[in-house]
Amino acid sequence: MASHAEPTPADETSVELAEAEPDARALPASWREFALAVLIVALATLAALLLRPYLAATNLAMVYLLGVVAVATRCSRSASVMASFLSVAAFDFFCVPPYLTFQVSEYEYLITFAGMLAVALVISAQTSRIRAQAASAVDRESRTKALYRLSRRLAAQTRVFDAALAASEVAEQVFGSHVTIFLPEDGRISFRKRTSNQLLISTAEEEIAQAVFDHGRKAGKGMERFPDAAATYIPLKGVSRIVGVMAILPRPNGETLKPDQHHLLDLFANQTALAIERTLSQNAADEARMQMETEEMRSSLLSAVSHDLRTPLASITGAATTLRSQSDKLPPTVRDELLESISDEALRLSRLVGNLLDMTRLESGVELRRDLYPLEEIVGSALQRLEPQLAGREMSLSLPEDLPLVNVDDVLLGQVLVNLIENATKYSPPASPIEIAAEATPSAVELEVRDRGQGFAPGEEKRLFEKFYRGKSDGVRGAGLGLAICRAIVTAHRGTIEALHRPGGGAIFRIRLPLDARP
Amino acid sequence: MKPLILVIEDDPQIRRFLRATLAAEDYQFHEAVIASEGIAQAAARQPDLVLLDLGLPDRDGLDIIREIRSWSQMPIVVLSARGQEKDKIAALDLGADDYVAKPFAVGELLARIRAALRRAAPLAPDPADPIVRFGNVQADFEKRLITVGGQEVHLTPNEYKLLQVLIKHAGRVVTQRQLLNEVWGPQHTEQSQYLRVYVAQLRRKLEQDPARPRYLQTEPGVGYRLSFDR
Repeated sequence: MASHAEPTPADETSVELAEAEPDARALPASWREFALAVLIVALATLAALLLRPYLAATNLAMVYLLGVVAVATRCSRSASVMASFLSVAAFDFFCVPPYLTFQVSEYEYLITFAGMLAVALVISAQTSRIRAQAASAVDRESRTKALYRLSRRLAAQTRVFDAALAASEVAEQVFGSHVTIFLPEDGRISFRKRTSNQLLISTAEEEIAQAVFDHGRKAGKGMERFPDAAATYIPLKGVSRIVGVMAILPRPNGETLKPDQHHLLDLFANQTALAIERTLSQNAADEARMQMETEEMRSSLLSAVSHDLRTPLASITGAATTLRSQSDKLPPTVRDELLESISDEALRLSRLVGNLLDMTRLESGVELRRDLYPLEEIVGSALQRLEPQLAGREMSLSLPEDLPLVNVDDVLLGQVLVNLIENATKYSPPASPIEIAAEATPSAVELEVRDRGQGFAPGEEKRLFEKFYRGKSDGVRGAGLGLAICRAIVTAHRGTIEALHRPGGGAIFRIRLPLDARP
Repeated sequence: MKPLILVIEDDPQIRRFLRATLAAEDYQFHEAVIASEGIAQAAARQPDLVLLDLGLPDRDGLDIIREIRSWSQMPIVVLSARGQEKDKIAALDLGADDYVAKPFAVGELLARIRAALRRAAPLAPDPADPIVRFGNVQADFEKRLITVGGQEVHLTPNEYKLLQVLIKHAGRVVTQRQLLNEVWGPQHTEQSQYLRVYVAQLRRKLEQDPARPRYLQTEPGVGYRLSFDR
């Protein structure tokens, strides 16, 4: 996917670089260019021979100069210098009487030769200089483009490996060679931790990469150290440390990099190193912040929870020790009460521990096990779990038979319902009814749990779902985790949950589960 | 003869409370603290039922089920922690009969034990009375007649088969996979949403309030249980 994101600029860059190479300044002229030079001089000679009957010999020299210009604009400087000399010789041979000899009838012609040669050489020199400048401008431009592309790709990365991968991809396109970046693991370069899928380099060269990583100096093919290696290794030097090693193989056709490309490669390595270093320190900062938040959460959790854990434990211990030491003095009704409080408080403790475990599990990123369920079934099993608390309570259910199946994790959504219904029982008078109603809209299923309790204070709508937040109603005990768990679960299902004031008194909790997530 | 129950559990407090409860209910009781001892006792004493804690210190409780099942069909009821549906299903699929989630009330534990013992020693079906009753539901499998409150209810063939399987396992949890396998066949064991739709239909036909089923209960994340004492 990533490779087809910006194909055109990549192709452009590599094409430009490839074109710029043959006419770069310092290239030795190939035999083709010399042949072309000879051909052009031959054509000039042909033209001069045709014009010879009509023009003075000195003017025929101009035809040759034109030929030299033609050579100079196309070929290397050495080819055009050769063409200059060849032109003077041909001019002498064909255009200066006596013809077809190098003899000269009038010594004046020697001045013509000298002038002609001088002009030809100057033309050669100037033309190739202009050409070299043009070529280096093209080079510079494509280099700038390549670096710009690299920095743009790097800026988008937030992970070390992604940054390295982006850099190696861009480098591969720009240099037309196989490029891999090796990243260290516990201070050692490992060929296993690399950006390319395939390893085209023998693992025997891991040592070279390690040396480059340790000493921060290039090595490998074309370098002083390890010149026999298959690849060239360049350290990725950040400001404070070396963050990896970039390896580049020769092109498939065996060509190695030119000096100016080496310069560009260094710039690449430098930018990549800085980007990786930035990502590393960003990650470290994130980690530190997360650690702080976790610490904070832990301490507030401890203070909130220790109280909630101790209270039921105190009742249990108290009741149990009373029963043990004074069993024979207690009337049966009191003994029953004490036993009941032990089992009630133990249940409460168990719920609290369950909530804490749920919250911890949800916060560490629980995996939803979703499938299609009738909402009726999930509501039903929640009510079944709450049977003891609901004894004698009027429940009114309104679940249309044609509700679509919902794509949920049944255990977790069941937990949401248990928490909401349990809340309703805690925050409303025992004789008041609790309503559960569901409704399908084209895009979602909405489920409401409504009670006739005292509701919540205006402005508490959002805070109710925060961890350890407890509603303002007095006399109700809880750790303030139930609704936070609900929100975490519903959000994991990409749904929403909200608290509403119920007309006529009480609270409504509305869950909205989008249907678009159905398989 | 009092049924013999082997308890394999490492926590001394839970063993103590189980000992008291089971003795009061007229069961014989043997205990093992670690897995190896438990397996040895199961082989030596041939108990009528094994009550197995999944979180033993020396070996995975699932291993014990696998090992016992390799040579015996004795009922196994698992004690597991809440929120570990995966373990519950794994235990049931390995052949455990049922599970009780900790913390549990005694009544629930005893009901599971009774149902599991019944599976092992089914009452000889009374040829004169092939009728099963729960609530106001009456199922006559000889005449293929199901009535609710005296009124005949028409069940589709799959609903009928589903009810039959649930009644066969009455009182015990049946995993979705087991139900799909027994009703639709082994090649349909992944299509649990159909099963849920059929269960919902069956509830509408048999339960007074299908959203608050009294008999056909859901075990979230695990399966279903037809809850009644036969």
